[in-house]
Amino acid sequence: MTNYYNIIPVITILTPIFVALVISIISNKMLKLKKALAVLATVISLIGLIILINPIFIQGQTISYWMGGWEFIKEVPIGIEIKVDALSLLIGFIISISSVLSSIYSLKYMSKDKGIDKYYSIFLLLVSSMLGFVLTGDLFNMYVMLEIMTFAAISLTAFRKDVYKSIEGAFKYLIIGSIGSSFILIGTALLYQQTASLNIDKISSILWQREFNGVTILSLAMLLVGYAVKSFMVPCHTWPPDAHMAAPSSISMILSGVMSKTGVYGLIRVLFLVFGLLGNSSVAYLILIWGTLTMVVGVVMALIQNDFKRLLAFHSVSQIGYIIVGVGLGLFINNPLSDLSLTGAFYHLINHAAFKCLLFLCAGAVLYRVRTTNLNKLSGLGKKMPFTMVMFFIGAFSISGLPPFNGFISKWLIYQGEMESPIPIVTVIALVVSTLTLASMIKVGHSVFFGPEMNEAKDIKEVPLSMKIPMVILSAICIILGVIPNFVVTKIIYPVIESIKHMHGVEIHFAGIYDPQIIVILVLIVAGLFAILLSVKNRHIGEVVSKEDNRLVEFEVYTDREVQKISEEREYAMRVEENYRNKFFIGGEDYDGEKLMADDLYWGIKKPLKKVFDFLHKSHSGVANDYVLWVVGTLAIILVYLSVTLLL
Amino acid sequence: MIIGYIGAFGLIIIGLAILIYKKNMIKMILGLGVLDSGINLLIITIGYKVSGIAPIFTMDSKGVEVFVDPIPQALTLTSIVIGASVTALAAALVIKVKEHYGTIESDKVRRLNG
Repeated sequence: MTNYYNIIPVITILTPIFVALVISIISNKMLKLKKALAVLATVISLIGLIILINPIFIQGQTISYWMGGWEFIKEVPIGIEIKVDALSLLIGFIISISSVLSSIYSLKYMSKDKGIDKYYSIFLLLVSSMLGFVLTGDLFNMYVMLEIMTFAAISLTAFRKDVYKSIEGAFKYLIIGSIGSSFILIGTALLYQQTASLNIDKISSILWQREFNGVTILSLAMLLVGYAVKSFMVPCHTWPPDAHMAAPSSISMILSGVMSKTGVYGLIRVLFLVFGLLGNSSVAYLILIWGTLTMVVGVVMALIQNDFKRLLAFHSVSQIGYIIVGVGLGLFINNPLSDLSLTGAFYHLINHAAFKCLLFLCAGAVLYRVRTTNLNKLSGLGKKMPFTMVMFFIGAFSISGLPPFNGFISKWLIYQGEMESPIPIVTVIALVVSTLTLASMIKVGHSVFFGPEMNEAKDIKEVPLSMKIPMVILSAICIILGVIPNFVVTKIIYPVIESIKHMHGVEIHFAGIYDPQIIVILVLIVAGLFAILLSVKNRHIGEVVSKEDNRLVEFEVYTDREVQKISEEREYAMRVEENYRNKFFIGGEDYDGEKLMADDLYWGIKKPLKKVFDFLHKSHSGVANDYVLWVVGTLAIILVYLSVTLLL
Repeated sequence: MIIGYIGAFGLIIIGLAILIYKKNMIKMILGLGVLDSGINLLIITIGYKVSGIAPIFTMDSKGVEVFVDPIPQALTLTSIVIGASVTALAAALVIKVKEHYGTIESDKVRRLNG
């Protein structure tokens, strides 16, 4: 029986890569067969992982398979180990479920694109490499899989090659991503120099007996920055907005919702399992502050975006910040605090995958029907696409942490951890960030779904069924994860924490009296009452009042002199064209019924903080060289910090 | 030994410097190439042993020879392949950039910013 389990992870990894090759040699006429094979391959991977639930999550085993049968010689691991523990399996599940949904979604979504036959090959390579990355116990194998992943992702980002932004986004991704991978390779090589092994368990057992020296610190810094690039930690977060904005939405979903998790996974592997830094408070402070910076910068940048997908990408940066804060707090020696924060971090990791995939699919639905994601152009789609609107608001409420959706629970756990941490001020920052998240989600909802109907939207329809199914599944996951927190925490997250901390008996307590079931019932009752009120009391709500009937509007009366003065002011404003919007708030309300522009919605916040927003806007200059400088600068800072705190 | 490490880190730093200072995209790709070469040299140097020979057992070997470490050589081979594909993909993208933007200066290819 054990052999039977051991072979499963290999099948899981190899099936997509094999089918990718098969697809690329099948004739292009059999496009339907190719699509069916692609969906089938992702489903087979998922089934493989489902079989592994029993031994790993329930019995608490670790499954390992040595490629080619090369095991130990004199207790030295020789071959490449395919290894599955609870952490790998959790991330593997996120990858696998999302890729099944993405492949179903792209059946219709990508049907208008050219070269669709190559799309599925590269997509399956991406899936396979992500699974290979998480289901391995070998540092160099992780690097190789990471490179395949990066290449597949770059190719898919540049897939719509007739659009300028795909090419530009892909080029920046290539440069920054390659530097990240190079740093990871240098770190791996230096660890090999120190320990003469590439096996993670072996390395950690050797490093456990030693003090830090210069080489291991350089290697730690390289690995941290390399994985920070992969998991969008500020200031290495510059490529995801470009790439996620330009990629097809079914791929943006994978890049933003899932590939960021592989970066976080690498970070957790390096911190907890390779270097065994649990209880090292100087590294814990570093990660905590880094995460806080990430979530603040991400959300501030998101607030000033006026592209749907770019805004979502910056939200990914911000939400990854929450996860990193949880991981940083998890490094403290204090056990209840550490367990609590790690639980929050892993819960948020699962939740982020669910709601960010859902939001990107909504953006994809809008793009599929209206052909633009510019928030200043989109308007009033709610009447034509009510389904997409409902899905979007489920995702938006989840990401902003409204009960009873899933984001609330995980953020609550992270706040709770922050309150008990040595720097409780982080709680306040996290709360403010959460508020700003809600604010920018309202901005998106308002711009896209509310307001007057746009001209291009006169004859659009709701998206087809194959695009609806993934959205329904994801929104169901969002709600279910929010309603059954105790099950998720005890059955899914405890085994993961036990596997990375090598200990048993993890237990956390929720603060407060929050009970999701009661909240759900309350929400349902309030919604029901509201619906009854709407139907009984006022039948005129929702009726369109024509402009001629609107006689009750009171006009303010101006004298000629005042009119002239106002028009002079307007002219002056036009003359300083570049600062026009920032000087006079016209809010798009020149006449009744005009759309309130996305840029104008938070004018009241943006005006006093103009310098901050301008500084951040100008810093993200779009020049690839600057972004390289940021990554190298981060490496220098981390290196100095680690040398000072760990060596001296 | 030590000269290998100096050369490796020298190449890595030169590669990063090219990526930071050179605006021409072709030069940036070459910078990535230099960075890769530096890393390859680093890995090879890690596996090097003074007066070591290629790690191949032959019929008349006495078992006293000093072999260089074979694993870094395997790693370098993988790393070279990956480096080649980075260069190819990047060059393909630069062709497309030229088509869309009419220039390959990275400070002019910045429509996605802020």
